[in-house]
Amino acid sequence: MIDYIRLEVRRTLRDKGFVIFGIGMPVVMYLLLTHIAGDSGKDADAWKVSAMVGMASYGALGAALGTGTGVAEDKKLGWLRQLRITPLSPARVVVGRGLSGSVTVLPAIAVVLLLGALVNDVQLSAGQWAGLVVLLWLGTAPFTLLGMGNGYRLSAQAAGMVNGGCMMVLAIIGGLWFPVAAFPGWLEKISRWTPSNRFAELGWSITAGHGPSAGTILVLAAWLAVFGAYAVYAYRRAARTA
Amino acid sequence: MGMTTATGNTGTTGSARDATAVAFSGVVKTYGEVRAVDGLDLTVRRGETVALLGRNGAGKSTTISMLLGLLPPTSGEVRLFGGTPERAVREGRIGAMLQDGRPIPRVTVRELVAFVAATYPKPMAVSEALALAGLETLAGQRVDKLSGGQTQRVRFAVALAGDPELVVLDEPTTALDVEGRRDFWRAMRACAGRGNTVVFSTHYLTEADENADRIVVVDRGRVVADGTGEAIKRTVGGALVSFDLADGPTDGLAELPGVTSLEIRGDRALLRSADSDATVLALARLGLVRGLQVAPASLEDAFLALTSSALEGAAAVGEGARR
Ligand SMILES: Nc1ncnc2c1ncn2[C@@H]1O[C@H](COP(=O)(O)OP(=O)(O)OP(=O)(O)O)[C@@H](O)[C@H]1O
Ligand SMILES: [Mg+2]
Repeated sequence: MIDYIRLEVRRTLRDKGFVIFGIGMPVVMYLLLTHIAGDSGKDADAWKVSAMVGMASYGALGAALGTGTGVAEDKKLGWLRQLRITPLSPARVVVGRGLSGSVTVLPAIAVVLLLGALVNDVQLSAGQWAGLVVLLWLGTAPFTLLGMGNGYRLSAQAAGMVNGGCMMVLAIIGGLWFPVAAFPGWLEKISRWTPSNRFAELGWSITAGHGPSAGTILVLAAWLAVFGAYAVYAYRRAARTA
Repeated sequence: MGMTTATGNTGTTGSARDATAVAFSGVVKTYGEVRAVDGLDLTVRRGETVALLGRNGAGKSTTISMLLGLLPPTSGEVRLFGGTPERAVREGRIGAMLQDGRPIPRVTVRELVAFVAATYPKPMAVSEALALAGLETLAGQRVDKLSGGQTQRVRFAVALAGDPELVVLDEPTTALDVEGRRDFWRAMRACAGRGNTVVFSTHYLTEADENADRIVVVDRGRVVADGTGEAIKRTVGGALVSFDLADGPTDGLAELPGVTSLEIRGDRALLRSADSDATVLALARLGLVRGLQVAPASLEDAFLALTSSALEGAAAVGEGARR
């Protein structure tokens, strides 16, 4: 299974589209968002921190969902069938793909955080930096599962579009691009229940100097369960036909 | 040697079972109304090279999918090495080249072959698999930058990489040029020469005849003939008798002695005959001898006769001889 993870990570990193859009987009957006509004004052400093977490979350979210798009492409090529006639068990194939997907979220997180530290001069303790990376990394699990569910269930083309759509909607409604405080009240309430907002909240809670609340973790765990069930259901259906 | 009796050794005495690689018994696969595989019985012994021969839609790929455990049969049973296909796959005894499979992009040939090899318990050396498939010089190339024929060879290397006991190849030569085909079959025979069991599908009787110990002709999901290339040619009827009709009547020709099928092509009548002497004598008695020709049935004739839907008679002969 380690070999499978290594193979898939290598394939993802060789994907120019992944590197340009998956890593480049959050980087460019982060620099734009933090420099357009002018870059002095206390508000600007807070914004640099919260936008850093937002954009790292956004990049990680995209990479996680992108795993599912890759699954749909593999299915189209007949690679999932080919894997099923190797001694690798189906469970290992699915788990391996999920884990490789979770590795490919790291570059976006790391690059945005590095920019925050080096370009935007964000100051955090070593423990906070480490906590950020670990929590943002673990927090992508629900999105990897959602993307994989779409990948197993849909055609390659549809999976690409649906995962792209999910990414946009989740990023915007979750307040990864613009703070939810700027939303109308009712939308702000909805936003607090979305997986993407709670995901980013993991990071914001760390930069605010405390850990994530139990509520945040519960909401994320619920989403993890929902998307996990969806991925299992989609995989079972695909195994019957693909 | 006469016809191989395929259905003879499905009886599971201990030793017969040990010698059996593949056993289909009464396997049916339906897609709604379509009976893709319709009561297939087939036994392949270890070490045998068997060709599944059939035209488009005959049910070859469906049969292979069930053999590999990718598709559950609607009814009937598939056994590999005395167990389920899933078990044989998990034990790393099976390698396959699927008809519609394409290798994944953004890996090199060597990375891909090495990855698949590593999933098997006792793989062959990666360099050996690459050499068998004729890929040594392409090992460092990205899989998505290869030609169709080269890609085909990668898929062959993937099938061989784990050094499986049973190698299954679904239409392995479709994208290959003449030289590629020759190299491919040489590699396939080398693989069979290691004592492996090989099952491959093809549209071409010549290809089956040259490369398999035994040919199983499949049509509309059933086995219509099973034996060596020689035996199959014999089954279909030794000869093609033809003559000019000269506007004469055609009724009754199909009932002449020895005739298994009749075809009218323009002004010529073509009779496939299991006993050309008797057929020619009968034609002579009727005075139908203008431009009379007797030619031995070619392999293509044999195949067409076995599988063409218009020629039920010939197929029945094939079945009769097998039993
Ligand atoms: N997924 C499917 N759904 C419905 N019908 C199917 C499906 N797969 C195959 N069939 C039908 O089953 C029959 C056998 O198909 P199969 O692919 O086994 O043929 P084949 O012998 O491999 O043909 P070819 O030489 O063209 O590859 C065909 O009539 C086909 O239309
Ligand atoms: Mg086929």
